[in-house]
Amino acid sequence: MIIAFGQFLEVLVSGLLAGVLYSLVALGFVLIFKASGVFNFAQGAMVLLAGLALVRSLDFLVANGLPFWAAIIAALLFAALIMAITAFLVERFVLGPLINQDGLTLFMSTIGVTFIIEGGAQMLFGSDVYPLRLFPSDAWFLFEGSFPGGLLVSKIDVWGGMIAAVLVVGLAVFFQQTKTGRALRAVADDHAAAQSVGISLNWIWFIVWLVAGLVALVAATVWGTKLGVQFSIVFLALKALPVLIIGGFTSVPGAIVGGLIVGAGEKLAEAYLGPFIGGGIEYWFAYVLALVVLMARPQGLFGERIIERI
Amino acid sequence: MRAPDGPPVTSGDVLLSIDNVSLSFGGVKAISGVSFDIRKGEIRAIIGPNGAGKTSMLNIINGFYHPQQGIITFKGEARSKMRPHDAADGGIARTFQNVALFRGMSALDNIMAGRTLKMKRNMFWQMLRIGPALAEEVEHRHRVEEIIDFLKIQEIRRTPVSRLPYGLQKRVELGRALAMEPELLLLDEPMAGMNIEEKEDMSRFILDVNEHYGTTIALIEHDMGVVMDLSDRVVVLDHGIKIADGTPQEVKSNQAVIDAYLGVAH
Repeated sequence: MIIAFGQFLEVLVSGLLAGVLYSLVALGFVLIFKASGVFNFAQGAMVLLAGLALVRSLDFLVANGLPFWAAIIAALLFAALIMAITAFLVERFVLGPLINQDGLTLFMSTIGVTFIIEGGAQMLFGSDVYPLRLFPSDAWFLFEGSFPGGLLVSKIDVWGGMIAAVLVVGLAVFFQQTKTGRALRAVADDHAAAQSVGISLNWIWFIVWLVAGLVALVAATVWGTKLGVQFSIVFLALKALPVLIIGGFTSVPGAIVGGLIVGAGEKLAEAYLGPFIGGGIEYWFAYVLALVVLMARPQGLFGERIIERI
Repeated sequence: MRAPDGPPVTSGDVLLSIDNVSLSFGGVKAISGVSFDIRKGEIRAIIGPNGAGKTSMLNIINGFYHPQQGIITFKGEARSKMRPHDAADGGIARTFQNVALFRGMSALDNIMAGRTLKMKRNMFWQMLRIGPALAEEVEHRHRVEEIIDFLKIQEIRRTPVSRLPYGLQKRVELGRALAMEPELLLLDEPMAGMNIEEKEDMSRFILDVNEHYGTTIALIEHDMGVVMDLSDRVVVLDHGIKIADGTPQEVKSNQAVIDAYLGVAH
């Protein structure tokens, strides 16, 4: 009994912590979708770009004799700069000229952006698998007194969880306290009214893409440490999709909770349903969950109800 | 009463002049060759039947639309393609025909959003709410509270605006525009959908804004009684063409205006 409970806790905790990473990617989608109504297909590619910029500059600086801590700071700054340049270019050459266009047009344009970012990132920084070691990758064994063998908790996941928490608190403060944050919320609610009080849409779009780029950078540090920085990171974007459907496309808390539900749900399903139906559940469970939510509550758990007058 | 072609009653410097402005959407002419001016300190009404081009005119003034032809001079400066946020920076505030509030925010936050351009402090200080950023926030809150008192909406300042009744939403929207301390305030049907009592309140606020703050106001309104009571001068549009311009008395007795509103027997 106690062993079964210990195992359940272990699966749950590892699922929740893995879910935090889904939340991080989903968060980038939500930020851009809220402020501009654009579903940004390129979010996964941005995680790849941020990760490559980080790991390659880090390797370069360490190879040139910089102490590790200084190299990390410099590499993070460099990657942040790359994300800022990306945000500027996307606003200037893609979204700026397409202002007031249909949502589908904007979505298509972000597919184009995806290919350019993916190609550009690999051209500039290489296309191998690059190991990133920012956090310790071993594990703790907790509560060894209560459970035989203790609970195995991976340190990377805990780091990821803490970083995500800091990020979310930082974003919340930014949205609530600053003039730019208030302007972002204003644009999310009503473009015309926001412009009429002196908010520049171009500036705001640059800011949201920058913030989404920085969120992608944070996601890249954690995913990169876990799996190495490699092209398959872009498929993360696909995992964020069910997270968004479950949490709601317009809700920051929704992205967080949705990520946790998907993370915990797929690990628990794998552990407890897997043996009965042949395993491999992890890969499709999130989509089934999303389908159920779509049928019961199409706007997602935290999304705004869309009411249309006929 | 003055002769219809006599000099207008109010005098004063011209704040905004519209000179031979035309606007079309594809083949549809929304406004053709319209000229008029707005003088400092006056209340100027723009009236006309549905589809006359009134809202298009406001959208041109605050930069949502760019006319294909004509010159707009604001504060003595001819301007070309001005974007809405630049217009706001130059001192033009507005409200919308269908209330355009930030629905996710409280009344207070909506009005605070009107102070966006006036807040200059660094984002990082604002996040921490210390030092000069705190002083700035307090100062702006102070100004916003004055506006809230002025509009008598103290009790609802923390309420999310989506839960407010329509009349109060319109009042909050006016508050947001006032928070910008504009030189020119554009009101698009400020009294649409209101009952008599709400209309009277709103009329009083408009007159008070004009008197106390000296704000120049241009408004679109369908209620002729309100227009005649409030405005110093009236410009009448019909099918995108200016058909009359003058004091309320002059406009009321103008045959072209009567025809436009009542239809002409052919």
